Amino acid sequence: MFEKLFACLLCLYPPRFRRKYAGEILQLYRDRVRDETGLFRRVRLCFDLLADGVTGLPQAYRNSHSAMAAVVVSSNPEGIPSFRILQQEPLRSGSVLIGCFLSLAAIATFSFVISHPKAYRQFSKGAMSPIESVLDRLNRATSTGSIQEARVASPGAESKPAAPSVASIDRKLDPVERDRVIHAVAQNLNRFYVDSQRARSASALILKKAESGDYESFADGQAFAARLTSDLRSATQDPHVEVAYSTIPLPNTAGEPTVAALAEYRSAMLQQNCTFEKIEVLADNIGYLKFDSFPDPAICSSIAKAAMARLNGTDAIIFDLRDNMGGYPGMVEEIAAPLFDHPAPWYNPKEPSGAASSIHSPVPGSRLANKAAYILTSSRTFSGAEQFAYNLKMLKRATLVGETTGGGAHVGIFHRLDDHFGIGIPETPITNPYGGPDWEGIGVHPDVIVRSKDALVVAEKLARNSLHK
Amino acid sequence: MPKRKLDPLPSTAFQILLSLAGNDLHGYGIMRAVEEQTNGRMRLGPGTLYSSIQALLEEGMIEEVEGGDESEAGHERRRYYRLTMSGKRLARSEAERLADLLRVARIKRIFRGEYV
Repeated sequence: MFEKLFACLLCLYPPRFRRKYAGEILQLYRDRVRDETGLFRRVRLCFDLLADGVTGLPQAYRNSHSAMAAVVVSSNPEGIPSFRILQQEPLRSGSVLIGCFLSLAAIATFSFVISHPKAYRQFSKGAMSPIESVLDRLNRATSTGSIQEARVASPGAESKPAAPSVASIDRKLDPVERDRVIHAVAQNLNRFYVDSQRARSASALILKKAESGDYESFADGQAFAARLTSDLRSATQDPHVEVAYSTIPLPNTAGEPTVAALAEYRSAMLQQNCTFEKIEVLADNIGYLKFDSFPDPAICSSIAKAAMARLNGTDAIIFDLRDNMGGYPGMVEEIAAPLFDHPAPWYNPKEPSGAASSIHSPVPGSRLANKAAYILTSSRTFSGAEQFAYNLKMLKRATLVGETTGGGAHVGIFHRLDDHFGIGIPETPITNPYGGPDWEGIGVHPDVIVRSKDALVVAEKLARNSLHK
Repeated sequence: MPKRKLDPLPSTAFQILLSLAGNDLHGYGIMRAVEEQTNGRMRLGPGTLYSSIQALLEEGMIEEVEGGDESEAGHERRRYYRLTMSGKRLARSEAERLADLLRVARIKRIFRGEYV
């Protein structure tokens, strides 16, 4: 039994040493057991073996290390980097298992990290409408998969309902809350909506429908908000009226964000290069700019100008807005301005009524005014990014390539109805210099419809063809 | 430059070299010889013994040889070790170093009596 125990202890020695001397060491052990009989000698033998473990083990490892170092130095006298096999022995199964485990853990961690990207943090500061800022905060609070849930309900959302989340399934509307929301909607609409006559007719419509039990079947807040939005829009003929629903309680305070929030926003923007993701000059001198928001010009103006300056010498330019969720109208105009050589009419739905504004062009030094421009869009392209795409399309200044955008102009002023419902109400007349409806609820339709993932390839091809004409 | 394993020469390695000065021995024989030449003060355990043997082999101070008495029943074929010329020179050099130390110790009258 002692011999087996001793043989097990030999596993502690370096493999190379063990392979060569294990047999002899066991033989030596047997010799000593054979020769050293009697209690005293046996006790001494045990003591010797224990002491030998303490002194011999480190020595064996020291020797192994020295042998490897000597091989490396002696085989590489000129200092030329090279690889050598130090020990010609197969990997132990334990090492292979540990390697497999660590590799799997690394792959799992990597997969988890890339599938949970940190969302850009956008904050409002006056330029964003209150409804946009509230929804933005909700979007940040919810997971990527439930962004739709926190967005404004719209007729489009009703026809293509988002997959209900666990939270929305758990929270059921009761008749009391439905009634409270309907009356609050009617009250706010009558008080704030720009056209009092249409406000009254819309309010009357939903109250009548409530009385006749049209809303009784709605237990889901999202669907209920979408239905109210649809009814209000049909009554007012105004796509900017929006009823919003959120599973997360809406904040009680509205208005200007705190100093701390602004400082956090500034820090986040600078850390993320103001969300400018890629600035490249592609083949045939085609400029490519990908940015995922229109950040506050007070913080990011210099970075935006530098990005545009870098592409100033290109022969065509592609704006990638496929992941752009909007931001500040000031930045929308700032990035568009170098594309014009005259002050073209500029639609900003958030400006006060009747203010027919123009873009601040030409921009001194800009050589992009006569260059072809392309905008890549997707269903994620939203709000301010839609303003950029819509205006340049209306002005025939850019070709839109990709998918129809999300459809959120966020014109209305947000009013909180209760913990989970709010309403966006246009309080001033909206003047669209291009005529017709804007993108609210319907999105901006691209000139060239392709899947968003193929948009860049198609836009590059279009740009190249136009350059080689 | 890696540190050489036998510089300075460990006392264990020196004792092994001395034990092999007369004849070729296997591991157990070396252990017994060392125990004997040190009057029982040094009993080399298997790990220490074979680590030292490994170092001496790799430095070319000893070599493995075939032969020896293989007639012992039930015993595996044992490896015998022999001192090389380099090993002899190293042992001599170490002995001279110790002799020098001994001379100094004598001059300094470290020893009591005349037994050394």
